[in-house]
Amino acid sequence: MTTSLFFIQLINGLQYGLLLFLIASGLTLVFGVMGILNLAHGSMYMVGAYLAWYFFTHTDSFLLSAIISAVIALSIGILVERTLIRQLYHRNHLDQVLLTIGMIFVFNALQSLLWGNDPQGIKVPDLLSGSIPLTDTLSYPVYRIFVAVICILLAAALYYTINKTRLGMLIRAGESNREMVECLGINISRLYTIVFAIGVMLAAIAGVLSAPMVSIVPGMGEHVLIACFVVVVIGGMGSIKGAFVAALLVGIVDTFAAVLLPSIASMVVYILMALILLVKPKGLFSN
Amino acid sequence: MLFQKRSERLFIWIFFPLMLMMPLFLDGNIFYINKLSSILIFALFVMSLDYLVGRCGLITLGHAMFYGLGGYIFYIIAPQNEAVNFWVYTFYICVISAAIALIVGFLVLRTSGIYMIMITLAIAQMFFYYFSDSMEFGGIDGVFLYLKPETSFLGIKMFDLDNPTHFYYLCLFSLFNTLVFFKVIMASKFGRVVDATRENPERTTALGYNVFVFRLASYVIASALGAYAGYLFSMQYGFVNPSMLSWQTSGTALVMLILGGMGSIYGAILGTFAYEGLHYFFEHLTEHWMLFMGSAIILMVILLKKGIAGYIEKLLEKRS
Repeated sequence: MTTSLFFIQLINGLQYGLLLFLIASGLTLVFGVMGILNLAHGSMYMVGAYLAWYFFTHTDSFLLSAIISAVIALSIGILVERTLIRQLYHRNHLDQVLLTIGMIFVFNALQSLLWGNDPQGIKVPDLLSGSIPLTDTLSYPVYRIFVAVICILLAAALYYTINKTRLGMLIRAGESNREMVECLGINISRLYTIVFAIGVMLAAIAGVLSAPMVSIVPGMGEHVLIACFVVVVIGGMGSIKGAFVAALLVGIVDTFAAVLLPSIASMVVYILMALILLVKPKGLFSN
Repeated sequence: MLFQKRSERLFIWIFFPLMLMMPLFLDGNIFYINKLSSILIFALFVMSLDYLVGRCGLITLGHAMFYGLGGYIFYIIAPQNEAVNFWVYTFYICVISAAIALIVGFLVLRTSGIYMIMITLAIAQMFFYYFSDSMEFGGIDGVFLYLKPETSFLGIKMFDLDNPTHFYYLCLFSLFNTLVFFKVIMASKFGRVVDATRENPERTTALGYNVFVFRLASYVIASALGAYAGYLFSMQYGFVNPSMLSWQTSGTALVMLILGGMGSIYGAILGTFAYEGLHYFFEHLTEHWMLFMGSAIILMVILLKKGIAGYIEKLLEKRS
């Protein structure tokens, strides 16, 4: 492996990891604050990608379709939390697994009902369609760098929200002691709605950002969901910082495994996860 | 008496005689006989999951791994060009999958709750990708098993596996034996301790039992039976493919289990039949059957807290 190839794979890995973080952060946030294991989280990624495709073909503006998709995702999040997830707060993990599997079925059905089962794709927006030459023969697409930058900005915004704002204070308080937050007169159910909706929106934004890079197909959500599980478990369930570190780790390991060990590439992240759990059964950054 | 609950006796006296007569009603309709056989096989698989989830309180999202392994182990160890003995290979498959379960269980049982759900899922995915990426096992298409085993036992040929009706009775026979087997375990002293480890692991430890050993033993038993179900499934259609060990298979089995009601021995059977019935019904109604299936699952979680079995028991209690 030459230096430039190594460098390109490293950026690829980081960029994939950042995208994973965007999805996994919602999963881990919802688990940490609300104690809900949402298997339908991957479906939100799929919904984001399909919405982006749908609006892009109608408006021809990537920015506009991204904004509309994010708003729709936010509304879906609020609706789902208010009607379904709310039923689960006092149930065990098994009921959560089941109800959210039911949601996966419904989202998959709606997707095939509304948008059909043919693979779709959208082209990279003109402004970002160029590539940056690295050496004489190698270059790197601008769009991928753009995605990485957006992910970093969103991660920073998330960090700021959680650590510096009043909402973030409530989220942290809700994580460590639910009852006490309620006793202090905070409307915890509204907090839950907000957290869940933000999680859904982050996953959908990841879907929107991936739309020009991947083919938009049925079942794309489930594949991502499993990758996010690995991230969340390695990082420690409920830990945003853990999810960030683990997402980058998984992104880089997965990318390099595909180059260096192609025969067992898809297994490598799971092996990594099993090894980490052997040493730290609750993940890297668990409390 | 082995079946103490009235609902259990009622179920067994209705279900098994009905199933015994089913081929007469179906009058040699091979499609439905095969369909019923595969439902019975999956019911056996769900029953083994019920033992883990309902009895031991160990939630796994990777049980399908053993379902698939049952088929793949057979493909690996059986010679390609001669029919082997069914019973001998049943024994081999159970022993090998039990050995794998011993190692896997040793790792996953170190964790509990949500972490166990995740790590069982991850290990199952590992096997899924191993089989779906390898050329040797036909990748995502899987492999064919051209020869069905013969089933002679002490010189007597019991079932002809190429005959769908014979195969159906083999499945029914297996399901019945599994049910009795689990019932015997649960009624034994071992089963009592397992119940205790579910209800209160700390206190069970204080009483001098090694909780980990009991859980590991249960994991091994359930996994071996799960592999047996997978072995039967691969016999039926003569192929093994990675979708058998996908997480969707594990998820479906969990859905069936909750639908039927976990912890009660017959809930697994009820749930499998109810799920397959709903699936069949919606699939013929519309191509978007998943919409209805998903809504049905969601409604069920919200409304039926203990599954169909729980509902039946409530009805019986009211009457007596």
